[in-house]
Amino acid sequence: MNVLTLLGPRWWGFRNDLVFGGRRSLIKAGSLLAVAVGFWVGIYVIFYRVLRYFQAVEEFGDLLAYKLLTMVYLTFFGLLIFSNVLVALNTFFLSQDLEIIHATPVSIGEIFAARFLDTLVESSWMVLLFGIPIFTAYGLVYQASVVYYLGLVSVMIPYLILAAAVGITLTMILVQVFPAQRTRDILFLLSLLVIILLFFLFRFSRPERLVDPDAFASVITYFRALSAPASPYLPSSWASEAIWPLLKPSPISSGFYQGFLWVNGLASLVVCALVAIWVYPEGWSKSQESGRLLAGRFLGLVPKQLRPRKPRRSQTLTLMGKDLKFFFRDNTQWSQLLLILALIVLYLYNYSVLPLDSVKVPTFYLQNLIAFLNVGLAGFVLASIGVRFVFTAVSGEGFSFWIMQSAPVSMRRLLWSKFLLYLAPLLLLGLILTIATNELLQVSALMRWLAPITIFSMVFGITALGVGMGAVFPNFKAENITQVATGFGGLLYMILAMGFIALVVILEAGPVYILFTAQARHHSLGFFQWLYVSGSILLLVLVNIAAVWLPMRYGIRKLAAYEG
Amino acid sequence: MIRLEGLTKRFKQVTAVDNVSLMVAPGEIYGFLGPNGAGKTTTIKMLAGIMRPTSGSIFIDGLDLLKHPIDVKARIGFIPDRPFLYEKLTGSEFMSFMANLYGFNGVGREKRIQQFLELFELAEWAKELVSSYSHGMKQRLIMSAALLHAPRVFIVDEPLVGLDPKGARLIKRIFTRLKRSGLTVFMSTHTLEVAEELCDRIGIIQKGELLAEGTVTELKELAGQEEPRLESIFLHLTGAETESTEDIGFIN
Repeated sequence: MNVLTLLGPRWWGFRNDLVFGGRRSLIKAGSLLAVAVGFWVGIYVIFYRVLRYFQAVEEFGDLLAYKLLTMVYLTFFGLLIFSNVLVALNTFFLSQDLEIIHATPVSIGEIFAARFLDTLVESSWMVLLFGIPIFTAYGLVYQASVVYYLGLVSVMIPYLILAAAVGITLTMILVQVFPAQRTRDILFLLSLLVIILLFFLFRFSRPERLVDPDAFASVITYFRALSAPASPYLPSSWASEAIWPLLKPSPISSGFYQGFLWVNGLASLVVCALVAIWVYPEGWSKSQESGRLLAGRFLGLVPKQLRPRKPRRSQTLTLMGKDLKFFFRDNTQWSQLLLILALIVLYLYNYSVLPLDSVKVPTFYLQNLIAFLNVGLAGFVLASIGVRFVFTAVSGEGFSFWIMQSAPVSMRRLLWSKFLLYLAPLLLLGLILTIATNELLQVSALMRWLAPITIFSMVFGITALGVGMGAVFPNFKAENITQVATGFGGLLYMILAMGFIALVVILEAGPVYILFTAQARHHSLGFFQWLYVSGSILLLVLVNIAAVWLPMRYGIRKLAAYEG
Repeated sequence: MIRLEGLTKRFKQVTAVDNVSLMVAPGEIYGFLGPNGAGKTTTIKMLAGIMRPTSGSIFIDGLDLLKHPIDVKARIGFIPDRPFLYEKLTGSEFMSFMANLYGFNGVGREKRIQQFLELFELAEWAKELVSSYSHGMKQRLIMSAALLHAPRVFIVDEPLVGLDPKGARLIKRIFTRLKRSGLTVFMSTHTLEVAEELCDRIGIIQKGELLAEGTVTELKELAGQEEPRLESIFLHLTGAETESTEDIGFIN
């Protein structure tokens, strides 16, 4: 009974969000649902097409589909373990309500049971949600009977319990060695690095070769080498072995592996419960004692030049210095620079492996066209980074925003200081993406200048839109800053930023075509062509100025009137 | 030093502060009392320039807050009821940050920062992140930062919440010292003993309206109370007197 009571607040919180959230909450839920459905459909289509393609491959088709299934289960298992460890750190050690719960006369066993269920649901729902289109694609491609779908449910339940039990046991042990807060930071960094590594491995394996008939012979050779059975000790292999026979036209019994999963799932649950009852009280107590952190350890991460030891006289520099310190002292913030670095490498790598020679269009023309379109793509990348860092800059003031409101600092100065802070890195990134891509594509002299100049001017608008919109839709009460980026304001920022980028690219396309053709044919421009080019450039300048001025002005006005 | 004229704040259907007018003279400590939800914090937020009134005016040191917000804020030291601070700054960094924001860059600034940190017994923790501070320490840090730029008006929402007896005594001493040097203090509090001990004049607000105003003696006369304690005057004026214990008899 106590277990249900302990789970109550989560359910009530969920219900109250819907009941009291009002229209804004419904719009938010609706937008998220739309995005989720989009992903869902995308995943389904990709897997359906890949599986259909595999089916068409004689001899190896089934092997490829089976290998893909084991890879899916293995990936899920890895994700589930990581997710369970991170969630368990919160639910068992760092959650704010634990103090009250531990003060109540509820046994450790009951607290464990409630928190286990909590962790299991929170860590698994996303994997389950995105697993559905994959398994549905398998079922439909192989025209599986209802036995397959029932078997799927029977496999997934112990599989999720097993992953949760392993993750939570691991957490219990980790917290015995490291402080809970530090463990979360370390795991966050580790998971980030693992994701980046997996991403690199996937991209550098050049999966596009699978659809390239010329390269296919070597891929078959590769898979032949892989036809050896997967490790029998991995739960992902048990799950694959339990599911695979059910996809056949006349389902063969997979009872042994299903039973094996259930036995291991329940056994791991018992082990986890025993470990928890044994070490959890001490671990919880320890996590209460490790609240103090020495600033000096974090200061080491800030470059010396950025550590403002001497008194600063300018308010703008003071505000920028504060934001910089925040960024480098928050592990969840600076570590995302690693992701951006990985993004740049992959972005440039994709351009370096473009099969331009195999397309039946003059290479020179294609190179310049791609370089021109790259301006829009680089703008999109900058806007995506902008929504995470620039749009959230104002909300990042958090509950301490009262300091800005009561200090003799105008909102104009606050917003422009944020604008200046984020402008420089975005400019650098934009220039790297365009200049390096131009080099890789060996574009013409005109494009060599045009792309960096365009992105240079666009970055001002992208940054101002981020800061301004962030001030129009501030959320100083968000527990996690990423929630701010995924909210309604963030979505609107992305829509406006994309509109701005598209407008610049469209306005520039005409004059660029005229100039490019004239250059290629060694013609000079006529009077009307000059007029058209000049008019477009003037319009571009005006659009860029408006993209900076309007959102900043509106943002300053809205933030000055903020009374939350 | 502080003049409120017809100050009103409405939130949709609710009038949180209703046509409040009052004056606080230089060097005076003014206590703002009222039950929960009476409009104290809303008034304080308007005084600190955090919230804009629906109507009415606020004059501080002769300047209209709505017309000259930056100039007025530079003259104010503000302490909110909940000490939300920048958790990723150290105590001394927070002090430097606030000094820069308030344009306090004169000679001896570092020395003054150090003096305040020592006065509020934070010097030992100056290089620690604010996230490791206790509630009382955060409260003391805000107080030192608010005094750093030598404000002319001190606006405080619940100055003693979360402070231990030693910290509370220190704050009382500081207020008395500040009063002597001519600083005006406007503070809201639930601690009636503190109001009685420190305040020259007291205003009592209920449901957004200023019910009564004056010294403790004047309020006593107004309430027609023999009992000299501020608590009974406050309860009488706000209509919250509970003589009987019958309504709480079910507890046992």
